[in-house]
Amino acid sequence: MVDDSDVGAPTATAPVRRGRRPSPRIAQMKRTWYFLRRNTLAMIGLSVLVIIALVAMYAATTPISWLAMPFYCAANYGPDQTTSGWYNSSTHTDGPFNATSVASCHYICTYEVVPPPNAAHFCGGLWYKTPFILSGHNASTDCEQATYATCVSYPAVIAPTVNLATLNAGPMPLGSLATQIDSTGAFFNLYNGMLRGADWSLIISVSIVGIGASLGLLVGATAGFLGGAVDDALMRLVDIFLSIPVLLFVIVLIAVITTTIHAVAIPGFTILGHHFNQYILVDSTWTPLFTLILGFAAVWWPFYARLIRGQVLVVREQKYVEAARASGAGKARILFNHIIPNSVYPMFIQFSLDVGTIPLLIGGLVYLGFINLFPSAYFPEWGAISATSVLDIQSMLESCQVQCVVPWWQLFFPGLALFLYAVSVNLLSDGLRDALDPRLRR
Amino acid sequence: MKLATYVARRIALFFPTIIGVMTITFVLLAALPVQDQLIARFGFPPRQDPCGYAKSCPCSVLDRNPKLTGTCNNPLFTRLTNKLHLNRPYEVQWAFYMENTFTFQWGTVSNNSEVAQTYAFSKGEPVSKFLGQMMPYTLELAILSLAIILLVAIPLGNLSAVNRNRPIDQASRVVSFSGFAIPPFLLGSLVVFGAFYLLLPHTGYLVTSPWCPTGEPLQNEIWKSWPSAGCYGNNVEVATLCPSWLSGCLLSHPTGFPTVDAVLHGYYWVAADTLLRMILPALVIAYGAIAGLLRFVRNSMLEVMNLDYVRTARAKGVPEREVVNRHAGRNSLNVTVTVLGLTFAFFLGGFPVIEDVFQLEGIGRALALAVIPGYFDFGVIFGSTILFTYLVVAANIIVDVLYAYLDPRVRLG
Repeated sequence: MVDDSDVGAPTATAPVRRGRRPSPRIAQMKRTWYFLRRNTLAMIGLSVLVIIALVAMYAATTPISWLAMPFYCAANYGPDQTTSGWYNSSTHTDGPFNATSVASCHYICTYEVVPPPNAAHFCGGLWYKTPFILSGHNASTDCEQATYATCVSYPAVIAPTVNLATLNAGPMPLGSLATQIDSTGAFFNLYNGMLRGADWSLIISVSIVGIGASLGLLVGATAGFLGGAVDDALMRLVDIFLSIPVLLFVIVLIAVITTTIHAVAIPGFTILGHHFNQYILVDSTWTPLFTLILGFAAVWWPFYARLIRGQVLVVREQKYVEAARASGAGKARILFNHIIPNSVYPMFIQFSLDVGTIPLLIGGLVYLGFINLFPSAYFPEWGAISATSVLDIQSMLESCQVQCVVPWWQLFFPGLALFLYAVSVNLLSDGLRDALDPRLRR
Repeated sequence: MKLATYVARRIALFFPTIIGVMTITFVLLAALPVQDQLIARFGFPPRQDPCGYAKSCPCSVLDRNPKLTGTCNNPLFTRLTNKLHLNRPYEVQWAFYMENTFTFQWGTVSNNSEVAQTYAFSKGEPVSKFLGQMMPYTLELAILSLAIILLVAIPLGNLSAVNRNRPIDQASRVVSFSGFAIPPFLLGSLVVFGAFYLLLPHTGYLVTSPWCPTGEPLQNEIWKSWPSAGCYGNNVEVATLCPSWLSGCLLSHPTGFPTVDAVLHGYYWVAADTLLRMILPALVIAYGAIAGLLRFVRNSMLEVMNLDYVRTARAKGVPEREVVNRHAGRNSLNVTVTVLGLTFAFFLGGFPVIEDVFQLEGIGRALALAVIPGYFDFGVIFGSTILFTYLVVAANIIVDVLYAYLDPRVRLG
């Protein structure tokens, strides 16, 4: 069928050039790319994704702190990172910042000069708008009373917004994006966290959806190709798994595993003189993360199984499959060489859609209190960072007694990254759908 | 096949699916330490902790387990484990579990979990009763959200299908994708923070609700006092002021629906306040759900608009508005109705995050309280799973039958 919009598109029936005839699969890819290129929104999504992937690659290859290390003292705002001269960190009593001795890192902040009136202050786990320091080198009394004797003041780089009675959105501390993310007074380097987040968000979502999609592909293709009783049995299984609520199942799985794992007595063992005690397996820092990935993958595959089965049912009736069978190809060859490559295209659309939703779901889990899903509460995953920030700002607003500055930046940047990631993935998958489905192209 | 046969066949499939899901749940439950299984079933642990998290358990229950052998010397424990048939083979346990599932014996709310702390009346109660008491709250929120979705998604979807690839279509596409892209906890919290900023400066710390005749403050922590039951909620100081029809400030009589009961008893301000508090969360829920529905409405409308009878209607001079609204619009609703049915079933499972953010009562909030690490309430967790499974499977059947009824061309089989 000739269509106006198809004019100029490379087609599989293009004049045969000399040499080997181009593979139909390559031709299909070229067609897809041709139509995708004309979709402005999809291209915007694709470019945002490419930027995120580049950031992730940069983060993976750069020796910045591996886990966006929380640090308990403000010494990281060294003289070279200070944006203004009125806060002189060289008066620290503790010497240079040392991540390994966080517990001992307590100091009382001193000021050389009286801070400007609009400065934002961090003290004892809260942001304040009122300056604590009255003059000179005196230590802040408020800081001494705080549990964590950490106190940092930031100069007001931007004029503060309209002063609402008790709360102020306050200026973001520019220069260093290092911010407090936990009201216990722990610091979290937001800049590092954002970089690492690109890395981990991609890795976790792609591995979850990847495991689910491959399992679904296997089950769906087998069911569709073999048909009969196998098909019936596998599809009942798919029905059962489709009836399981995703988020609830992951919650149940994690709750059960974290509860059970300590009750199971695993004997200790010794390899090459190294003794591993019985908790080495269950208390590994990575166990929660693996549980999360496996839990999601366990409920993610039935969608793909159903999708692929429907596609295989159509493809297996095609003439070329008949031709392959007539030329004596075996069942496995027909399935893997002829049927599966021709029925995976809709899977790509679903794949790209699902990859975008995973960080959102993880954020929801972390919001519900599953912070210990990750090796540390400061695990740099965009969903986790924004959920932790939400919880932190909530607890801060609840406990705010005097004028407080809301650290909006620690919510804004991870949230923006999450939003851009999910929107661009959705735009791309929508473009893919349009490009791959000839009926919608008209 | 006749419709009646089809309906019978679909209903017959209800039980195998439920049994399948419950088998998975059973495996998870049976994997728990005996201690937690007992709490999940009976709501309280045995007096002493003979098995709990110990490496070896002196109970005959666990004789089957080579790691945990011995004799049981705690009479209460023996009684409970016998009642739970934990001393029987797994297949027998499975059979009893299935019986309990179908007879609504889904376990008991734990005595010392966060759920029992928050809802005193639920302590030691059957989970199915507790979830039934919380259901009206979730149902009200779900109905309100569904109404918003219907009001927005269907007209907008039709509009973007009619104006295909024009700016309005692209705009609605971007709006719907942004609904997919903002996690509910983030959007909900931003809305609450916004309300916080807007309400706070007017009266300083205490914000008075204009709908409260007693002038109860909303307090400066808005999410601490954002209950659906007017000014009452679970606020301890205010709880004593609850009217008699709102026992425990939570359970309303006679219908159980707080808004309806408030109107019945003449407390119009409570009803108004309850609705008002549900509008923001309902908008947040709807924003997330519209994204998915809009796509279905648009696609099915596009398909219908290409059909011959629409062309015929246009050719015989029916006005375009009439064509879109009556000829095409009606027929494109078939798919929409089915998707809406499934959405509603998912809504009834509760909104753990939204109800937590806005401090609303409901099944989702109960679940959010039950999954606090270290204080898991397995009774509520497994009970919600069973309830949710029932809802989804039933909704699937209803939607299939409805679809077959609405569209006679569907091949029944």
